[in-house]
Amino acid sequence: MTATKVVPMPAGATPPASARATPEKPRRRTGIGERMMPYLLLLPALVAVLVLLGWPTIQMLGISLRKLDLHELVTGKAVWIGFDNYTEELTDPEFWSVAVRTVVFTALLVAATLLVALVIAVLMRHLNPVVRIILQISLVLAWAVPVIATTTVFQWIFDQQYGILNKTLDRLGFHSFIGYSWFSTGASTLAVIGLLVLWQAVPFVAFTLYAGLLGVPREQYEAAGIDGAGPWQTFRAVSWPAIRPILTMVTFLSVLWDFNMFGQVWAIRQGGPDGASTTLAILQYLKGIAGSHFGSAAAIATIMLVLLLLVTGRYVQLLVRSKDGELA
Amino acid sequence: MRKSLTQRVTLSVVGVLVALLFFFPTYWMFTTSLKTPGEVLSPKYDLFPTSATLANFASALTKPGFVTYLSNSLIVTLGAVLAALVVGVLAAIPLARFRFKGRKGFLLLILVAQLAPLSALFIPMYLLMRDLGLLNTLPSLLLVYFATSLPFTVWMLYGFINGIPYDLEEAAMIDGCSRAGAFRRVTLPLLGPGLVTTSVFSFITAWNEFLFALVFMQDKPKQTLPVWLSSFKTAFSVDWGGIMAASVVYAIPALIFFLIVQRKLVSGLTAGAVKG
Repeated sequence: MTATKVVPMPAGATPPASARATPEKPRRRTGIGERMMPYLLLLPALVAVLVLLGWPTIQMLGISLRKLDLHELVTGKAVWIGFDNYTEELTDPEFWSVAVRTVVFTALLVAATLLVALVIAVLMRHLNPVVRIILQISLVLAWAVPVIATTTVFQWIFDQQYGILNKTLDRLGFHSFIGYSWFSTGASTLAVIGLLVLWQAVPFVAFTLYAGLLGVPREQYEAAGIDGAGPWQTFRAVSWPAIRPILTMVTFLSVLWDFNMFGQVWAIRQGGPDGASTTLAILQYLKGIAGSHFGSAAAIATIMLVLLLLVTGRYVQLLVRSKDGELA
Repeated sequence: MRKSLTQRVTLSVVGVLVALLFFFPTYWMFTTSLKTPGEVLSPKYDLFPTSATLANFASALTKPGFVTYLSNSLIVTLGAVLAALVVGVLAAIPLARFRFKGRKGFLLLILVAQLAPLSALFIPMYLLMRDLGLLNTLPSLLLVYFATSLPFTVWMLYGFINGIPYDLEEAAMIDGCSRAGAFRRVTLPLLGPGLVTTSVFSFITAWNEFLFALVFMQDKPKQTLPVWLSSFKTAFSVDWGGIMAASVVYAIPALIFFLIVQRKLVSGLTAGAVKG
């Protein structure tokens, strides 16, 4: 107690580094009430997560070990079949092609999102205020328009007969695009879906990275300039280290969101043509809700969860191990 | 660090082009909504509208049940946002301000909870709501949206509270505030941007959700706007003008929400992001 120091702080003089408060160690004089405090405060969140997310997840694991079709669902009988659902999926070549497609699609999409957002964030820093505000307004608009509305607009832009894109391409001299169907192959369907997701996801990532860039003290850029660093070198030496933790965080989030994405893929072509744009999330839905094979669907969902854990496990581990539970 | 004139002009041009690219779909949604069916389905090149009609809006808004869907959506979304914020702040405080047993375990739980694919939890959640007797009621959707945005909310708010110097609270406590009082008077006001940024995410999640809304709500008067929007598309024809007008209507509450919070949004992102 005697060690408690009161350091008078002039307002605004706090260096950014000390902004991270070190949570104090529990004090000796705290009573049982105060020691129970954190648990009491956590209780609602804990209950909500365990009941509304944890319990369904455990059930999902259980269902994946059962034969659960419509018949079993109605009669309420549990038919345990061990890992049959898993072997059935894992020996199905269709499952593997969908899994590979999902992983490639997610990887490309996340990379594209980060790259475009990073370029825009750097661009925002160098633009004059008027153009920057114009850019920011259009980004916020793109972000605020609900996903379903956006998806519909994209379908309309890419419409085969009357879509503005084909009309424009025709005007520009590419007459072969009259009546061109963007949804005739899986690759081009996924490309349109990718563009759509890019359009929705870039604003958030760009703003976050821009905010990170703003956090870099001006003097560091000036110092780099004095040392004769070119724009690329300045970016590598000054901007990059500052935004790396943020970049890692948005990568983590983008991987989660893109890998599990269902709505946009479903809305565009329901995984078509001929299942050529089907991702794991769609396959899982088709088996479960549409096909009423809830056991297989749960097995696919479990495999998805395991895949995600494998990819993000290292990051989660680092986050939890690091001093404050965050990488910064 | 001065840039030459050509550099500045090039940058501005690139900036405007990118802005136009991101603006176009919104623009296209809006202009299409102002066209008559004949104009929509015409081979004419119509990047810029020559005439405008509000007929699509009139027919969208007078579709039966629009007001019901709108209020259902608002109740479910705002309820979920509010619940996630309250529970999220309560959980974020001890995570950021106390050291206690199980803290890392809880953080891990929060992180892993974000991995769960929502569309995969569908069947167990359906069974859960059935057992709770909540199917076909608004609280079932509210609970689902609350639960899915909660982990992210806790995680973000934890970062924000971490970013507010604890010294400030300590100073208030030395001046005679209780622990709770210090938090309420010092940290909570500074948390504004964080609350705003976080609520944007839960708002978007809940406002957009379609799958659960479609299956949980069997009665038409209980359905939400995303389901309403899908009713414009039938198997054989798409009323593009109507659906665009409906999309505009559907986007407006989200835009209003953004407009209300936008001044705090960028500063919130700054604070949150600088913290990492």
